[in-house]
Amino acid sequence: MTVVTAETVAAPRKSWSRYRHPEATIRFAVMLAVLAFLGWSIAFLNIDLSRVLGAFPRLAEILATRYFPPDLGYVTDADFIRSVIRTLEMSLLGGFLGVVCSIPLAWLAARNITIGRRIAYPFGRFAIMGSRSIHETIWTILFVTVLGFGMLAGTLALTVFCIGFAGKLFADELEAIDMGPVEAMRSVGASPLQVFQYAVLPQVRVAFTGIAIYTWDVAFRAATVVGFFGGGGMGWYLKRTTQQLESQRVAAILLVIIALVLLAEIGSGWLRRKIAAMR
Amino acid sequence: MSVAAPAVSEHGFDAWVAHKRGRRINNWLLVAAALAVLGWCFWDTIMVDTDWARMGGALGIGGTLERFLWIDWSLVPHLIVPALETLMMATLGTLLGCVLSLPVAWFGAANVTPSKYFFYPVGRFLMVLSRSIHEIIWALLFVGAVGLGALPGILAVAMRSIGFISKITAEAIENIDPKPVEAIRAVGGNQFQVMYYGIVPQILPVIIGTIIFEWDINIRRSAIMGLVGAGGLGLVFFRQMAMFNYGGVTLVVLAVLVLIAIGEVVSLLPARP
Amino acid sequence: MRHEAGIVEGRARRGLPGHEENRVPVLDVRNLKVSYTSSGPQILKGIDFSVDDSDFCAVIGPSGAGKSTLIRCVNRLVEPTEGDIVLFGQNVRALRGGELRHLRRRIGMIFQEFNLVNRMSVMDNVLSGRLGYTGAFRSFFKAFPREDIDRALHLLERVGLQDHVDKRADALSGGQRQRVGIARALMQKPEILLLDEPTSALDPKISRDVMGLIRELADEFKVPVLCNIHDVQLALETCNRIIGMQDGYKKFDGPSKGMRKQDLDEIYAMEVL
Repeated sequence: MTVVTAETVAAPRKSWSRYRHPEATIRFAVMLAVLAFLGWSIAFLNIDLSRVLGAFPRLAEILATRYFPPDLGYVTDADFIRSVIRTLEMSLLGGFLGVVCSIPLAWLAARNITIGRRIAYPFGRFAIMGSRSIHETIWTILFVTVLGFGMLAGTLALTVFCIGFAGKLFADELEAIDMGPVEAMRSVGASPLQVFQYAVLPQVRVAFTGIAIYTWDVAFRAATVVGFFGGGGMGWYLKRTTQQLESQRVAAILLVIIALVLLAEIGSGWLRRKIAAMR
Repeated sequence: MSVAAPAVSEHGFDAWVAHKRGRRINNWLLVAAALAVLGWCFWDTIMVDTDWARMGGALGIGGTLERFLWIDWSLVPHLIVPALETLMMATLGTLLGCVLSLPVAWFGAANVTPSKYFFYPVGRFLMVLSRSIHEIIWALLFVGAVGLGALPGILAVAMRSIGFISKITAEAIENIDPKPVEAIRAVGGNQFQVMYYGIVPQILPVIIGTIIFEWDINIRRSAIMGLVGAGGLGLVFFRQMAMFNYGGVTLVVLAVLVLIAIGEVVSLLPARP
Repeated sequence: MRHEAGIVEGRARRGLPGHEENRVPVLDVRNLKVSYTSSGPQILKGIDFSVDDSDFCAVIGPSGAGKSTLIRCVNRLVEPTEGDIVLFGQNVRALRGGELRHLRRRIGMIFQEFNLVNRMSVMDNVLSGRLGYTGAFRSFFKAFPREDIDRALHLLERVGLQDHVDKRADALSGGQRQRVGIARALMQKPEILLLDEPTSALDPKISRDVMGLIRELADEFKVPVLCNIHDVQLALETCNRIIGMQDGYKKFDGPSKGMRKQDLDEIYAMEVL
C-alpha cells in the first residue's frame, strides 16, 4: 500500500517523464528496506503482536482496578504542595537560565549572522545539538552524580535541556530574518554586538518571547519528572510511591501532573497568542 | 557639514526625553519584578535545598568529573546490541505512534471530523493528553501493564508520539486545498477515494517530514526507556551507574550521540533531491 | 570582447573633467573585478573611475550590468576579487575588523529596500546611524548623547518627518521610510554617500521628490554622492556626472549635460526593449 502511495505522489509531477523508472525503483527499494528492518526489529525484540493489542485493555483494567480511586488526600498534603511549588520554581529558573544561555549560542549557530564560520558556527551548533541529543533524564542523573541530590542538579539539567530546546528554535528564527537592516547597520560601522542589538533583536523579539514561554511550558513538563531521578521537586514523590507500589497515590500524583501540565499549556498558549497579537 | 542644533521647541530634546522616560521606567519595573521572582526561586530552590557540605567543594566535583573522563572503551562490544535495540524501539514506537495517530488526527481535524460535538473534542483531548504525560510516566504505566522488556518502551514512545504527529497531521488536513477534493467528488469518487486521491497526496509531504522528525526525537526517548525497565541503552546506562563505572556511563552517552547523529543523517536523506 | 576597443577609445576621447587633475579624488577605483564564487561568472570585469568631492555621480546601465555590486564594493558589503579601491586615501581592501568599521562610519549608505528595522521607532532607526561612534555601554542602554538626539530631531524635521518621530518604521509609507533612511545616513556626518537604487521601490512622483531631497541635502552638507539608478531620466535630471555600465564594463563617463542619445544607446545596446 505504501508503495502505491509513493507513486501517487510522484505521478502528478513526473507523470510523463522518461526517468520515472529509476526513481520508482529506488523508492521501492527504500520501502522494502524499511519494511525488512521493521520485521527484523519485531523478531529481534521478540515482540508478541497479540500482547501489543492486549496492552491497552490491560492498561485500562489496571487503571480501573489498582489505580482507582486516586488517593486525593495524599496530594493535598502540605509537603506535597510545597514540592509542587518548588517544581514550578525549578522550571522557571531552569527555563530562564536556559533561554539566557541559548540566545548567544543561537547567535553563533545561525548561519547568516554568525560571528565566524570556522570556529563560532560549529561551536554553537555543537553546543545546541549536544544539549538536545541527550535526554533530560540523563542530564539529571549526570548532574545528580556530580553535584549530589537536590534541586541544584535538577535546575542545571533543565537549563541544559532548555539550551537544546530553545537554542534550535532561536537559531531557526535568526536564520529567517531580513538581512537588509543587518547590512544597513554594518554599513554605518556598528560592532557585531550593536548589529545584533539594533538590527537582529528588534526583528525577533516577539518570536523569541513566544519561544521563551513555550520553552518554560516544556521545561515544566520535564521538571515534573526530574525528581524521579533525584533532581528535586514532585518527581521524588512519584518515585517513592511507585517503588512502594502505592498505586492509588501514584494515580493521584499523575492526575495532579496532568492537571498542572494542562494548566501550563493553556496559560502559555494564551500568553503566546497575546504576544503574537502585539507584533 | 555641521548641523547647528536649533531649538525646535515642540519637538525638542527635552520633550522627547520626557516622553520616553515614562515608558522606560515601566519597562525597568517589569524587569525588576521578574528578576525578584527569579531571585526568590534561586534562593528557595538552590540555596536552601542544596547540601553544599556533602558536595565536597570544587575538589570533590573535580574528582567526580575526572572519573567520567576515563572512558571505558572495553564496553564497546557490549553496546552494539543495546544500541540496535534502542534504534528498533524508536522505529517501532514511531510506526505504532503513526498508526494510532491516524484516527486521532481524523477526529481532531475540524473539516473532516465525523462529529464536531463529540469526536472533535475527543481527538483534541487525546492530542493534549499524549503530550502532557512525560515518556517516563508512560513507560511506568506500561511496565505495570505488560511487564518488563522492550514492549513497554515501544508503547510509551508510541503514546508520546501521538500528540505531535496527529496535531501536525490534523493541521495539514485543515489547510488542504479543497478544489482537488471537489474534483474527485465530481468524477464520482466514493468517501475512500476522496480521502485517498484528494487528501492524502496533499498532506503526505508534511506527514513524512513530521514522522522523520518524530523518529529522530524518539531515538533519544528510547535511549532512556531502560531506566524504568524497558531495554536498550538506558539499561546499560543504569547498570553502569549502579556499578559507579562512570567511564562506562560516558561511553553510553557517546553511543547515544552516535545514534542521534545517524538519525540526523538518515533524516536528511529524503530531503535530498 | 569586441566592445573593449570601443571603450578604451571612448575613454580617451572624453577623459575626465579637467579641474580634477590637481586634486586628490575622494574615491579612486582601479581595475576592480568581482566574482561571487571562484568559478562563477565575473560581475565586474575591470572598472576604473574616481569620484571628486563635488560630484553627484550616477551609475546607470541595464539590469545585471553590475551597478549594485560596484556600489557595494566601496564599503565592502561585497568583497572585491581584484583591483584597488582608495577612499579618503585609504585602501579599502586592506582594512580589517575595527579599521573597516571606522571607515564605514564615514560612509553613508541609502538602500533600495530602505533596510530599516521595522519594529523599531523612527527615532531609534535614525539614531542607529550613530552606532559606529557610540560606545558599547551607551548603545546597550540606547542612551545616545544629547547632541545626537538633537541632530536626529533636526534631520527628521529637515526630511519632513517631525510628526512621525515615535512611530514605528513599518507604520510609514514607502517615501517616508526612505526619508528615514536618508536621515539615518546623514546622522553619520558622512563624507561620501552611497545610494543603492534609492528610488526603485518608490513610485515615480515620490522618486523625484526623494532624489530632489537627497540632492538638496548633499549640496547643503557638501557630501559627494555615488549612486546607482535605474531610471535614466531621473539620473540625467538630478546628477551632474554619469557613469554608464554594461555587462561589467564601464562604457561612458562624463558630465550628464554632455550626454547624447547615442551614448545612451551604446550603454543599453544589449538590452532588448
